[in-house]
Amino acid sequence: MLWPALVIMAPLLLGPLLALLHESLKPYVGGRIGGDDAGALTLANYAEIAAPEYVRYFLDTFRVGLISSGLALVLGFPMAHFIVRRASPPVRRLLIGGLVGTLFLSLIVRVYAISMTFGPLGPLSGFSRLLGIASNSPDGAELMVVLGLMNTTLPLVALTLIGTLQNINPRLEEAAMSLGAPRWKTFFLVTVMMCLPGILSAGITAYAFCISNLVVPMLVGRGFILFVSNLIYARFSEVANFPGGAALSIAMMVISVGLFYGLLHLVRSTWQEAGK
Amino acid sequence: MSITRRAFNRAALAGAGLAAAGPFAGGLIRPASAAERLLVVQWGAQWIEVSKQIAADFNKTNDTQIAWELHSGGSAAVIAKIKAVWPNTQYNVLSVWDPVFRTLIKEDWLVPIDESIVTNLATIPDQFIQKNDKGQKMTVPLSTAGAFWGYRDDLLPGGFDSIEDLLRPEFKGKLCVPYPINLTGLFIVSCAIQRGGDEKNAEPGWDFVKELASKGQIGEICTSNSEYINAMATGQYSVGFWNNGGWFATAKNFPVKLKNRMPDNKGFLYNEGFCVLKGCPEKAAFEFANFFAEPKMNELYNMNLGSGPTQPSAKTNPMLVDWYYKPDELAKYAYFADFAYLSSVMNEWNARWEREIVPLVRRG
Repeated sequence: MLWPALVIMAPLLLGPLLALLHESLKPYVGGRIGGDDAGALTLANYAEIAAPEYVRYFLDTFRVGLISSGLALVLGFPMAHFIVRRASPPVRRLLIGGLVGTLFLSLIVRVYAISMTFGPLGPLSGFSRLLGIASNSPDGAELMVVLGLMNTTLPLVALTLIGTLQNINPRLEEAAMSLGAPRWKTFFLVTVMMCLPGILSAGITAYAFCISNLVVPMLVGRGFILFVSNLIYARFSEVANFPGGAALSIAMMVISVGLFYGLLHLVRSTWQEAGK
Repeated sequence: MSITRRAFNRAALAGAGLAAAGPFAGGLIRPASAAERLLVVQWGAQWIEVSKQIAADFNKTNDTQIAWELHSGGSAAVIAKIKAVWPNTQYNVLSVWDPVFRTLIKEDWLVPIDESIVTNLATIPDQFIQKNDKGQKMTVPLSTAGAFWGYRDDLLPGGFDSIEDLLRPEFKGKLCVPYPINLTGLFIVSCAIQRGGDEKNAEPGWDFVKELASKGQIGEICTSNSEYINAMATGQYSVGFWNNGGWFATAKNFPVKLKNRMPDNKGFLYNEGFCVLKGCPEKAAFEFANFFAEPKMNELYNMNLGSGPTQPSAKTNPMLVDWYYKPDELAKYAYFADFAYLSSVMNEWNARWEREIVPLVRRG
């Protein structure tokens, strides 16, 4: 029975989306608040963001999001693995409680903490130099954004992967090792491979969170790193160009959904190929 | 090792419980009351601090409950929030400035000020008060404020003579400037004035900003007072263009000099204050605004903000002696921008900044 869900979702999700689509087609006159209801519908708002300069903002958003969510996965998986397979019950409780607790910590606090720690005057300012980046350069600002996003998504990724790892019978790993597989091979070919659906799911969640983020680039991007969300926010909040903001939102949504299904298709076809 | 669902839930609940305990222990839950309630939107930093102090005094004689919300970024952002729900906005009193007053009046969202309740309006100079087409007074101006270039004297002894100097290599990465839509584009206008233009002939200003950006002189682009105050406090940036509030907060901790009397540039003056939105408990809102407009409160308010009081009998903070202009200096150094025009080009300037300036600063 799908209709109860549809009755709830239609006004909550579809309704606002259609309103946004309609707003994106309204003409905008400078100085007005919102689109001109009396004007003829137009694609001018889409034409404006089709300018080559805006491609850079989309690429930056997807690239920085990918790096951040990738790092969160790389760090989150061993963390989850340690909690499920190695930690003693009290340590495990402590770590899971800590991960959940960080989710309640304000995003702003976490981002400022990162900035104060790794920023040009922070105690770990040398970290950026290790990567060959001057902390007060534009690349330094990008590094702060990556660290801020990673810090935010890491608990989400780790908690998701804890569930995944728990559902994998540890005896499969023991069986592989008893048949002579070295520990590293067991880890990568048994544990990681069996976790792939969970890794994909955690990765997609983290990636969606990163590319839709507004606060992190706003607080530590120093005005150099702007995500598409920042451009949308400026239009809706600061210049009241609702049609422009709506057009950017629809474009971002279409590209993100396209990217998601593209990736999904790629992964599925690769697995099906491997299974033949 | 495996974890039972119950153990996982217990650990998760423990973490959640610890995180949630703090705010409740702080006393967020308060008993209900039948008094009027006002939701007032104010800027952060010292604006909210002094406002809460004055509101506490107000509540000694008036039981209206005051709830505060902070502007997120520039005060123009509140317009979109109101538009989305109008006429059912939850806001009652807004603390904004001239360009935003003009927009709110144009939308017909404000209640004319009832001078029988806001009796202190009578002593505020008439030219500070924004009016609608019918000539009705629509605002309660609390401060005369401004936007100026300036620098931290401890980081840049001797400062600079002209903003043309800021193109020199020693200023690379040292400038902290507003996003163009903050301060309604006054940063661009200032750069335009430098090269012989103004708000209606801003092209020379854009060229100057492009020079600054391509040389890597811009170190940070701020979108709010708090961001600017924090940025200037780090010591990474020595020069900036911001409003008097941002400079005043910086000057409390560091030696600051304003460059508001440069021979080839100008300082910008405008008013900030309260306005009352339609549909709110008007009497309570007017009483609240009137309390802030009392000469004594007006003095306290502006002493803490680093702004000029609007009540002629209120004293000005001694720190600001050189910040504002004497009457005979106004023509030479002060500039009163056409905010109605600037509001009409903000969208275009914002898009232009995204297309032409950000790629340049991004390159460093």
